[in-house]
Amino acid sequence: MTLTARIRTQLGSLSLDCNLSFDSNVTVAVLGPNGAGKTTLLRVIAGLVPLDEGRVAVDGEVFEDTSSGAWLTPEARRVGFVFQDHALFPHLSVLDNVAFGLRARGVDRRTANARAREWLERVDLAGFAGSRPAALSGGQSQRAALARVLVTDPRALLLDEPLAAVDASGRLELRRALREHLATFPGVRLVVTHDPLEAASLAERVVVLEEGRVTQEGPFGEVSARPRSAWIARMAGLNLLRGTVSSGAMLLDDGSSLTVATDIEGTAMATIQPRAVALYRQAPEGSPRNVLRCKVAGVDPEGDRWRIRLDGPFPLVAEVTPAAAAQLRLGEGGEVFAVVKATEVDVYSL
Amino acid sequence: MTRGVTRRPLLGLLIPAAVAVLFIALPLIGLLLHVDWSNLPSELVSSDVLTALRLSLECSIIAVAISLVIGVPLAYLLARTSLPGRRLIRGLVTLPLVLPPVVGGIALQTALGRTTPIGTVLDHFGIVLPFSTAGAAIAEAFVGFPFLVITVEAGLRQRDDRFEEVAATLGARPWRRFWRVTMPLAAPSIAAGAALCWARALGEFGATITFAGSFPGTTETLPIAAYTSFEGSGQIGMAITLSLLLLAISILVLVVLRDRWLGALQ
Repeated sequence: MTLTARIRTQLGSLSLDCNLSFDSNVTVAVLGPNGAGKTTLLRVIAGLVPLDEGRVAVDGEVFEDTSSGAWLTPEARRVGFVFQDHALFPHLSVLDNVAFGLRARGVDRRTANARAREWLERVDLAGFAGSRPAALSGGQSQRAALARVLVTDPRALLLDEPLAAVDASGRLELRRALREHLATFPGVRLVVTHDPLEAASLAERVVVLEEGRVTQEGPFGEVSARPRSAWIARMAGLNLLRGTVSSGAMLLDDGSSLTVATDIEGTAMATIQPRAVALYRQAPEGSPRNVLRCKVAGVDPEGDRWRIRLDGPFPLVAEVTPAAAAQLRLGEGGEVFAVVKATEVDVYSL
Repeated sequence: MTRGVTRRPLLGLLIPAAVAVLFIALPLIGLLLHVDWSNLPSELVSSDVLTALRLSLECSIIAVAISLVIGVPLAYLLARTSLPGRRLIRGLVTLPLVLPPVVGGIALQTALGRTTPIGTVLDHFGIVLPFSTAGAAIAEAFVGFPFLVITVEAGLRQRDDRFEEVAATLGARPWRRFWRVTMPLAAPSIAAGAALCWARALGEFGATITFAGSFPGTTETLPIAAYTSFEGSGQIGMAITLSLLLLAISILVLVVLRDRWLGALQ
């Protein structure tokens, strides 16, 4: 089963413009910063937001096609949408919530309740059938919302920030449960998140969405190791550079240059691990390496690794131990030399 | 915001505020002082009072029913759709709130009176609204239903249509969403609106007496009975008894509604 979407829609200041294809054999995470259009993408697929231009279809069945005017109402799409805040009906019991979709599709009450109970058991909520949603914790209400969707046997499962409304203590357990249900769900699976960790733990493929456009797509490891946007690099904790490589030198877009060890020629991107950036107070001598004169723009103590933001030929983040930071007397505005070995610059073609 | 610069009251404001409280309280105290408590039980169950009470309940409940049937759909359309001319309609609906009820009664007379086009048609079917119990109910509905519309609309606006969206993705068609999601979620504000509408209808005087007159047993509701015994027959005792009855009902409505009414307005 494949969901294809060619989407162009304007919603307030957001203009969503992307071509996507989701296959049912992998879980896909749509990753991006807040306001990138991730939720809107799900709402378009579910039929809650109309397209200005484009086409959404699952296999042969067209949900929406602006060129032919085809439009399937949300209720006819059989798309399971779990909202970010779960949105359990507050006036119904947990059981009635889960049975709602079946009743809406004409299943008789007895059968609907029996199947809803089955699903409540599968998400470990059998004891809460008669409770009101208000009595559930964040993790429980997320599982109830999941059961409410899965019981209807949808063709696609859309999860919007599934762990956002859950406190830290319930997150681990819920993540495990989500992974389990995602793994056994036979249809298209989409998880929207702004958290790379969540994407990594729930999905096999990542689609990075920024300002309404897809900036990168691929297996999670590849995307995080070889980011194509500053946002994803920052999320992965990497320094990201872009420029042109020619015979061992990379000329960056800002005019500075870097010695690199690669066979690649032409336009390329490069990442530098923050911990591969060494800091010195005096410029050191030595073989193929890059020495960059920088000013300290900021120091972010984070446990036993401090992140040092540097202003040099290009912005750079270094990671040092608190002891080293003290020894170097790193303070904002202070001058340091950042040293990066050529072999620590990971160059990849665009 | 319980602490801050406005925490300490200005003494100059206390005096007019105290006058305001007395202004409301004194007439009520006066009323209570003049109640003939020994005769009260027998007066309360006298046939005149019971007839007026029964009629009042009948008319006001019909008025609420009319308001629910036409008011809830209107409130829904005003709150949830981009109906053209929404502002104008909203203004029109709230007009009876500020309109002198007598004007409402006269207006109803000119629209539904026996000689009007609608009146003639109704007459053809043997229905006469002016000076009938049905007419009294319609006059009460005219004055009471803005309360219902405003309260229900506020209640519906308070929630966005997210739950309807959830219901749609779960496969519920529009009417099912309306009956299974929208209406149950709006139930508290519908109840509050109906109660306010009912309280207003129960106390309605001006429009009712203008459109329906004051015929004991047909259109002489509690407030009208109180007025006629006070003004016409000089039975001030009876007028006070009827007033006390209306006051008790009002307080009851207020107590039941306090939280809901405030909740729906916030």
